[in-house]
Amino acid sequence: MASTLRDPAPSAPTRHFADALRERPDGALVALLRARPDLGSPSPSTLRSLAARASSRTSLERALARSDALTLQILEAVLALAPPVREPGTPPAPPGTRATGGSPARPRVTPAAVAEALGADPEERQLVEECIARALEAALLWDAIPSAAGPSPQGRSAARRTGVAAGPDLRPAPGLDEVLGPYPAGLGPDVDPPTTPRPLPGPDAPAGARAVLDALAWGPPVGVVPPPGSRPRDAVDWLVRNGYLVRSDARHVLLPRAVGLALRGGRTHQRLQAQAPRPEGRPVSAATVDAEAAGAALDIVRRVGVLVSAWDDAPAPQLRTGGLGVRDLRRVATAMETDEASAAFVVELAALAGLVVDDGDAPPTYVPTDAAEPWSTLDDADRWAVLARAWALTRRTPWQIGTRDERGTLRAPLSPDLQRPWVPRLRAQVLEVLQHGSSSSGERPALSTAEVLEVLTWRTPRAVPPERAVDGLLMEASWLGVTGAGALSAPGRALLETVVQEQEAPSADGGRVVPVVDRVAAAVRVILPHEVDEILLQGDLTGIVPGRPSRDLARLLEQTSETESRGAATTVRFTAATITRALDHGADADSLLTELARRSPVPLPQPLDYLVRDTARRHGAVRVGSAGSYLRAADPVVLAGLEHDPSLSSLGLVRLAPTVLAAAADAGELHEALRARGMVSAVEGPNGQVVDVRRVTRPRRAVPARRSALALASGRTTAEAVSTEPDYAALVSTLRAVDASAGDAAQSRAAAREAARNATSTVLRSADPAARPAPAAPISTPRPAALPILTSPTLTPPAAGSPAPAGEPPAAGPDAPQPDEPVQPAEPVERGFGHHRAVESAPEAGGAPGRATGVGHRDGDDASAPDVTTAAPAGGTQHPADALALLRDAIRDGRKVQVDLVGRSGTLERRELRPLRLDGGRLRAVDPLREAELTIAVHRIAAVEA
Amino acid sequence: MTDGPLIVQSDKTLLLEVDHPRAGDARRGIAPFAELERAPEHVHTYRLTPLGLWNARAAGHDAEQVVNTLIEFSRYPVPHALLVDVAETMARYGRLQLATHPVHGLVLTATDRAVLAEVLKSKRTAGLVGDRIDDLTVVVHPSERGHLKQVLVKLGWPAEDLAGYVDGEKHAIELSPTVPGRTPGEAPREWSMRPYQEHAVDGFWHGGSGVVVLPCGAGKTIVGAGAMAKSGTTTLILVTNTVSARQWRDELVRRTSLTEEEIGEYSGARKEIKPVTIATYQVLTTKRKGVYTHLELLDARDWGLVVYDEVHLLPAPIFRMTADLQARRRLGLTATLVREDGREDEVFSLIGPKRYDAPWKDIEAQGYIAPADCVEVRLTMPESERMIYATAEPEDKYRLAASAAGKKHVVEQLVARHPDDQVLVIGQYLDQLLELATHLDAPLITGATTVRERQRLFEAFRSGEISRLVVSKVANFSIDLPEASVAIQVSGSFGSRQEEAQRLGRVMRPKADGRTAHFYAVVARDTVDQDFAAHRQRFLAEQGYAYRIVDAEDLGTESEQEEPAA
Repeated sequence: MASTLRDPAPSAPTRHFADALRERPDGALVALLRARPDLGSPSPSTLRSLAARASSRTSLERALARSDALTLQILEAVLALAPPVREPGTPPAPPGTRATGGSPARPRVTPAAVAEALGADPEERQLVEECIARALEAALLWDAIPSAAGPSPQGRSAARRTGVAAGPDLRPAPGLDEVLGPYPAGLGPDVDPPTTPRPLPGPDAPAGARAVLDALAWGPPVGVVPPPGSRPRDAVDWLVRNGYLVRSDARHVLLPRAVGLALRGGRTHQRLQAQAPRPEGRPVSAATVDAEAAGAALDIVRRVGVLVSAWDDAPAPQLRTGGLGVRDLRRVATAMETDEASAAFVVELAALAGLVVDDGDAPPTYVPTDAAEPWSTLDDADRWAVLARAWALTRRTPWQIGTRDERGTLRAPLSPDLQRPWVPRLRAQVLEVLQHGSSSSGERPALSTAEVLEVLTWRTPRAVPPERAVDGLLMEASWLGVTGAGALSAPGRALLETVVQEQEAPSADGGRVVPVVDRVAAAVRVILPHEVDEILLQGDLTGIVPGRPSRDLARLLEQTSETESRGAATTVRFTAATITRALDHGADADSLLTELARRSPVPLPQPLDYLVRDTARRHGAVRVGSAGSYLRAADPVVLAGLEHDPSLSSLGLVRLAPTVLAAAADAGELHEALRARGMVSAVEGPNGQVVDVRRVTRPRRAVPARRSALALASGRTTAEAVSTEPDYAALVSTLRAVDASAGDAAQSRAAAREAARNATSTVLRSADPAARPAPAAPISTPRPAALPILTSPTLTPPAAGSPAPAGEPPAAGPDAPQPDEPVQPAEPVERGFGHHRAVESAPEAGGAPGRATGVGHRDGDDASAPDVTTAAPAGGTQHPADALALLRDAIRDGRKVQVDLVGRSGTLERRELRPLRLDGGRLRAVDPLREAELTIAVHRIAAVEA
Repeated sequence: MTDGPLIVQSDKTLLLEVDHPRAGDARRGIAPFAELERAPEHVHTYRLTPLGLWNARAAGHDAEQVVNTLIEFSRYPVPHALLVDVAETMARYGRLQLATHPVHGLVLTATDRAVLAEVLKSKRTAGLVGDRIDDLTVVVHPSERGHLKQVLVKLGWPAEDLAGYVDGEKHAIELSPTVPGRTPGEAPREWSMRPYQEHAVDGFWHGGSGVVVLPCGAGKTIVGAGAMAKSGTTTLILVTNTVSARQWRDELVRRTSLTEEEIGEYSGARKEIKPVTIATYQVLTTKRKGVYTHLELLDARDWGLVVYDEVHLLPAPIFRMTADLQARRRLGLTATLVREDGREDEVFSLIGPKRYDAPWKDIEAQGYIAPADCVEVRLTMPESERMIYATAEPEDKYRLAASAAGKKHVVEQLVARHPDDQVLVIGQYLDQLLELATHLDAPLITGATTVRERQRLFEAFRSGEISRLVVSKVANFSIDLPEASVAIQVSGSFGSRQEEAQRLGRVMRPKADGRTAHFYAVVARDTVDQDFAAHRQRFLAEQGYAYRIVDAEDLGTESEQEEPAA
């Protein structure tokens, strides 16, 4: 049965795809590189290698991970409609006849045909065509009709866009068939010979035959063969005999593609997902949204303030594994009057805004930075803007706090591994979803996590963000006031616009700490309740501020009272304890009462007046001071002489009572000084007994100066600056130049193509899919210029045997390669900068968290080279600072890097590591391949490649 | 943003600005569902609680009404989460109902299958319910009616009790049209219930069971009597102490057709069971060998009505006993639903929802209770006394401060300020009182005074024969001295807020000439006395009785300025 099926993994028509790419105008190439940035990093050396890369599984996976549901449906439709790729070994048809050559019965796969197969109505047709244009631009599709005059951009693309009769004949990018799976759109395989759609089973068919077909029609197209002798079995057998089904193996039957399409009435998809779903949500009035957001914004600003002052009083110790301990979290949560989850977010937020930091001491503790002071002098709106901005750009994942990692360890707030590179993109997407639902009618929709996820699923069906992350981000947004009552608030909107702008054109100053009166602050200022500078004081010793207290009033109340209730108004209570606190801060009764009376529209209640005055009267009745030692004498006259003796002024003598002096100096010093002055003093112990002098002096502990945390914070800030877009235009022109020089040296392109086709058809059958495009180079264009893209050592001999032309890569050295010398020197370069770089930058560029297969850290490894090599790194040992900088970046991003380690015997060992922590001259890292965690002395690290 | 008088906080407190022109409307609007927590001079604080909202539901208000009221009077946008919460909380009441099934007897029915399933799944309802009859109905053991209601409130699904009440043993009780004079020669006066008392009785009767909230001195006893008359059955009255029990008895005899013979007292001293029996909480909660020995009282008769005086003080064991009385009508009387022990939910589930509530100040405005002026006089102790105080043992400190010698002089000054008033001096410590009595040349009543002597003195005080009376704490509850218009408290029992309110209640009976009552508390400055005083006064301040503080040294100079203001 299997014989009727085609080879499931046919070789792709790489050459045609490459030609199509080459014929693109420069502008289209730049657009391609912009649409799929992984193709341009590292710079491909030739257009051909660019084509190879564009059809590699990794790159396609990544491109698909970012494609929306419509694009995927279009790709599936094209894949289903496009003629099957010819059998290996059969002579290819000339390019010009290609459209009709393979299967004469098939019409061209024009955008119109695709739209029809998708069942698009006239309105959706436009969307489908635009989407096809984008897919063409991203080289996920290509046009099988060669252009007459090479790169002549305008005419072709114009024709394509309008979709005229002579429209393009669409083909999927090579490799796409594998990435999209064996049954695109639930359609079975093409059989050989291709079945022409025949009339569906008529009355002569056995009962149940139609039911079998209908069951398989919309996929999956695989059915289990019923047991022999049963009636369904007869039907299946009949269907197989008549070519409606094919047997794939003894137990399964498949519905061939043509039959499937016929059953579906020519459609490839049952339901076209032309547009993102627009969840209705729950409409909330804009006023409510903004009022809720304002409340949340004030709360978060206050809580960060509480945290800063709490840690100013008592810094929180850092856990040995990094992060903040549960008990300390609970403590700050109590201080903030909130639960632990939101307290953890506040802690993270404060750290992001550079307001608190790990002081780097031993043992490390979390302390407020120097930036906390200027921050706290800002007004509520500016303070909020600083926090919101920090949140908008961060990669941190605070919602994971409290969950356990793979090793079962509880994730703590501020722990270094709480970051994922895709967070900013997801955050922007979530906020955009919220924004898109908005209407102008004054009502804004509040979307649930499921509704947001529904939209995000349409946008990237192959990389659906984890629900927990979306939920976490929505939660954070509500805590922050970016949303109110579940809908995007006005400041949230402003923030989103700023975020998008900053991500597109990042500012170098990264001005987090510096107060920036920007649109965000302005937007939040508008919605905050009006400041009130009055307080209603009442006889039961409470006071009520009927609105948001002004900054001065808030400060006054913070000092003099305790807050009982917060919200639109603030209720405070004055107690003896709070008045004492105010007096401790240096206030006196009269100024306190004047301050309160000035702000009270009603006369100061008498009980409050009495409370303040009585407390003040008692305050300071007992005085405490510090002194190093004391001096007492029975005769006050002796002391009077000492107190005013200029030679003893350095001792800091103060008269406390007629017979007692206190001294700033310690007892030993005082004793010495008095002896030196000729006074016979004796040192006494606590019980008044005279003691031995030498035991009195005690060692003092030096207080370490607090390190400037601002420096730490600002260092962090600049390191996080987002890299700018590479100069794609320059890259494209370089590629063209290489291509042009190659073209001059080589024979006619057609002949080369011919030769390559013959060669590849034999070689490629066994080749690794990822390396498939490569072998074409050494044979068709006998130039060492193609050498760097060699990745398979088995193909080295033919390459090495080729003559040495001009334009060879610098990595191979100035001399022509010796025939028997392997191309090793080029290898590490390619491996180091090319392959790994491309793979490892995936999460950052791709932004596809989690579920997508083939995208992400681990999946990228399948094509990576063996991890141990003895080759020296290209540029010798790196500058240590660079290496450390790279490691820090990687720690921050949670990325993997290639690290060259100097082994015991002095050999270099290259390992792929995910660094976790860098301190004390040691690097702690995880080796994902060996699933081991290791600690490496920094001096053993010879080089680091990102 | 409207300019309403109400600020709705996200912590579910409502701040009502009293001076706002619409404050009255707002107060009436929120009164059915919000509990008044504090009522100082400018801004009153109400609180939204699930119980309050369920009370409102029980009284026939719905969530929409509540939400609209909040939005209508709120100055700022009402927190969204709060509105959602109000709607959700109110929707929970009445999903479950206790009803009488013609075949199965007492059943719990649900309007929502999921709710019933959730409730039955809980371990707490195990054993309280019997067989499922259908998806929405389950049999309830009649003896567990109270427990089940209690559990359901704890589970957040309060049941509406529609199962009705037993009729109880009939016993005709009627309100007498006249009230006998206080002195033997005085002619009987005609009287009738005040309008708010009638409303309270009606509200209770229509609701079946529940709590009536009235301020001290507003005639809660008469509401009880009215309810008894309406019921016309044998009645069990539970009160806080014996003194209160006697007061109830006297009042019932005067105001109803009941005679002394029909009213029994069940207390530590006497154990009588009559058609109307007044029992104290204390005797009911007395345990001997781990057993409540007086439980049989509850079943001694087929009570048609059970009255709980001072529900906010109801002790926990009584709650447990009350759980078994669910088939009888229950009336709770209290000045405040806020309990210091947080058992409001048990009051709600076992006695019943709030049926009537009248703000203290409203009743004062109608002239049923006298306006009062509260003054705290602070006395600075002389150096010598302060030294003794400073070095005293902690347990002696309060006595020392409370009976500071200087208070004598202060009391003298105060008495001198009110030459035409009937003045009561109330204190805690007998030697101090004795000293004061001698000093003021006034009679003294303590626990040791014989009943005959007491009655003679009270009578003389009422008639104006004597205008000064020094009393110990025996006067806290027992005596009714309507003409006393000045009370001077020289010492109290530590920080009891209730005692303060009771003592204030002494002078708050309405005066014949509408005079303002004066209440003075004399405290020693910078001592525990002052701290306790602050605690006691908090209750009054929260009830809207702003108190002034006067230095003892300023008394002489201040009095002239103060009088016109008062």
